[in-house]
Amino acid sequence: MLARTAEYLFWTGRYLERAEDTARLLDVTYHRLLEATPGHEEVEAWLDVLRAVGLADEFEVSGRTLDGWSVSEYLVLDPANRGSIRQCVTQARSNARGVRELLAVELWEALNSLHLDLQSRDLALDVQLQPHELYGLIRQGVQSVIGVVDGTWVRDDAWRFFMLGLLLERAEMGVRSLRIRQSRHDEDVHEWFATLRAASALGAYRRRYATFEPEALIELLLLSSTLPRSVLFSLRGAETILTDLVADERSLSLRLLGRLRAELEFADPIELVGPGLESTLEVVEARIREVAAAVAAESFLYRVDLGLHSLHLVPGGDPR
Amino acid sequence: MHTVGGMSGKWFEGYTTDGFFDEAVDGGGGLRPHYESIASTLDALDPADLTRAERRRNAAFRTQGITFTVYAEDDESTDIERTFPMDLVPRVIPADEWAFLERGLIQRVTALNRFLDDLYVGGMQIVKDGVVPRWLLITSDGFTPEAFGVPVPLGARCLVAGIDIIRDDQGAYRVLEDNLRCPSGISYVVENRSALMRVLPQLFATEQVQPVDQYGSMLLHALQRVGPPAAGDSPTVVVLTPGIYNSAYFEHVFLASQMGVELVEGRDLVVEDHVVYMRTTQGLRRVDVIYRRIDDDYLDPVVFRPDSALGVPGLMAAARAGNVTIANAVGNGVADDKAVYAFVPEMIRYYLGEEPIIDNVETFLLWDPDQRATVLDRLDQLVVKPVAEAGGYGLVIGPHATDAELAAARQQILDDPRNYIAQEVISLSRHPCLVEDHLEGRHVDLRPFVLSGEDVEVVPGGLTRVALRKGSLVVNSSRGGGSKDTWVLAHAAGDASADGEDPGEATEVLTAPVRTAGLHPVGRR
Repeated sequence: MLARTAEYLFWTGRYLERAEDTARLLDVTYHRLLEATPGHEEVEAWLDVLRAVGLADEFEVSGRTLDGWSVSEYLVLDPANRGSIRQCVTQARSNARGVRELLAVELWEALNSLHLDLQSRDLALDVQLQPHELYGLIRQGVQSVIGVVDGTWVRDDAWRFFMLGLLLERAEMGVRSLRIRQSRHDEDVHEWFATLRAASALGAYRRRYATFEPEALIELLLLSSTLPRSVLFSLRGAETILTDLVADERSLSLRLLGRLRAELEFADPIELVGPGLESTLEVVEARIREVAAAVAAESFLYRVDLGLHSLHLVPGGDPR
Repeated sequence: MHTVGGMSGKWFEGYTTDGFFDEAVDGGGGLRPHYESIASTLDALDPADLTRAERRRNAAFRTQGITFTVYAEDDESTDIERTFPMDLVPRVIPADEWAFLERGLIQRVTALNRFLDDLYVGGMQIVKDGVVPRWLLITSDGFTPEAFGVPVPLGARCLVAGIDIIRDDQGAYRVLEDNLRCPSGISYVVENRSALMRVLPQLFATEQVQPVDQYGSMLLHALQRVGPPAAGDSPTVVVLTPGIYNSAYFEHVFLASQMGVELVEGRDLVVEDHVVYMRTTQGLRRVDVIYRRIDDDYLDPVVFRPDSALGVPGLMAAARAGNVTIANAVGNGVADDKAVYAFVPEMIRYYLGEEPIIDNVETFLLWDPDQRATVLDRLDQLVVKPVAEAGGYGLVIGPHATDAELAAARQQILDDPRNYIAQEVISLSRHPCLVEDHLEGRHVDLRPFVLSGEDVEVVPGGLTRVALRKGSLVVNSSRGGGSKDTWVLAHAAGDASADGEDPGEATEVLTAPVRTAGLHPVGRR
């Protein structure tokens, strides 16, 4: 498939996942703070959200005040913020529009409806008056797109690039929210429950562990092989896809991803959640980014103007 | 003027033709036989049903993104994606009228292909034989010296042609202009049909309508036939688009997906040793045929506009070397030129030895002193058009123009007579359209799509464009135009009606004499 097409699909997946993850984070933070006493704690909580989505510096540059309303507005509808939910959906749609000939009509319709819906709403009002409905709607909108993907898309390379982008984004977001939670050495059970809830993992946690232990929780969100939003689960999915995608077994992206997955898969949980956890999470996050960069260098190279003779030349190509 | 009689039910009560040729209603106020089935189906429906159907259709087009882009003045982020309005009452063409049109279109496009091949690779025999003046061709905007010697297999230079056809006040079909570069609109032909079948399926219950959704395979087949000889039986075909900001992007997507081929942008292609490749995730892959939807000027920055980022450096050289086929061929614009258009009937006689089946609109060529004098005398009764514009831009309609506009047109003609033509005002036929809760006549034209590969073929029907504003003659989508589903019936006019409701008029159209303008310098040789 075309290199540009592959890149568009990869980013469609990433942007969609990011829109959903951001909505999940905002939703749980908003609801947890309803029960909390206002003040210092609240400011910290919103800062954590910004850090988890990797936009704390950009937010500061924007000169906004650090409070719930401002952070929510920034992350939901600010047109100047390319990571805002509305911009993510717009970018996802615009990337998908660039490869529309490959998408099933139903998939395009689901994505376009989500986009049109967000365009037509007064999002500022929704953030103020009915945030829970809004975040639920975004989550459902993205999930219905992903549902159509899952239920209708032929498992071809186009699907693989879409899913690869989505899963790498999910893994990276997952690690980042754990890092933030961990770095605050927070023993507050509500904070941890919010983190679980954001990953749709609270029920699973309760069924599996009787009492609240931060270690158990990290084990679940990082290493579970059954929880769909755990980091390991996402990376395993990404690795399977990448194995089918790359023809060359010695591909850098596959090697990096395989090693990372193996390290998590065969890690000793007790050792892992020990004192070295913070730096471990940092390394995992950096590795995920390296994988994404390697995928880009290997597959989207129309951007990199390499000399023609260094490219793998297949005149006539493989028959479609 | 004429009100349609009670026989045709509630939708046509009070419907008037106002003296225009109407597609559905004859001069005596009776419904034409090939519209009877539609009229009786409509009778079972209320205005509310149609409004609902229209809303469903609009919503479907919007969520499916079947849109065109209206460019904003300066900022591309404020461009608007619009849906192309579709009127729900289909236009119907009986089989015998279509057979006539089809023959005429095939004849015309065959001659145009021959002309372009003669011009660019055939040594310009037509000029040597004194049929078309050399100076006229080389002063045309569309004339492209860079295309000399670039071969096109089978001479299929107009691989896709969109021929704009109108009907005059007598109902005679005439060619208004030829679009031989990148004619658009075929996606609406197919999508309008599928939308109408979904929202008003009952219309199709009693009529046998020729399908249109085979277009993708017809196009792919034609493109595969013009592959370079080295590419063998199944050349790799791509569609080349300027990208998502282009107003016709939906159509490019549509064509690629209907054919199941890659939709590429210029940056996806690379030329090495006069061979074109596309950049894939697995490396470079050879491309044999490019159906391009980018204008000549932007195609190759080495040869044409050096600032174009949409094109592919080296593409023309690859085409010249015979390693890739570009469709439509480069340089076709010369035959779109409205002054060259006036010579198409002569081309048909010259290359095919036949009389034109579908007539041109009478055209005055303004470099000729006698014709110019006539036109300047009657400027307020004629239409003046710049020769190189498409889409209705720069048009001055004499009877509707202000004195100042007429004076400006006069000056433009005197300054640059080569680049303008004048034509009699042809009011275009009208067709019933849904206006709120009743039908009113609106002017329509027809753009059939003609494909050239091994043979020249026509997709049944074409795009019927409608001037939605009352009284307007401008059907272009960018200027308030809409469209209609266009039916070619499987049977001839009148066959379906038991009482044989006067099919004479339609037959008369078919035998209308070929008329030539009295002052036409090439009309009689």
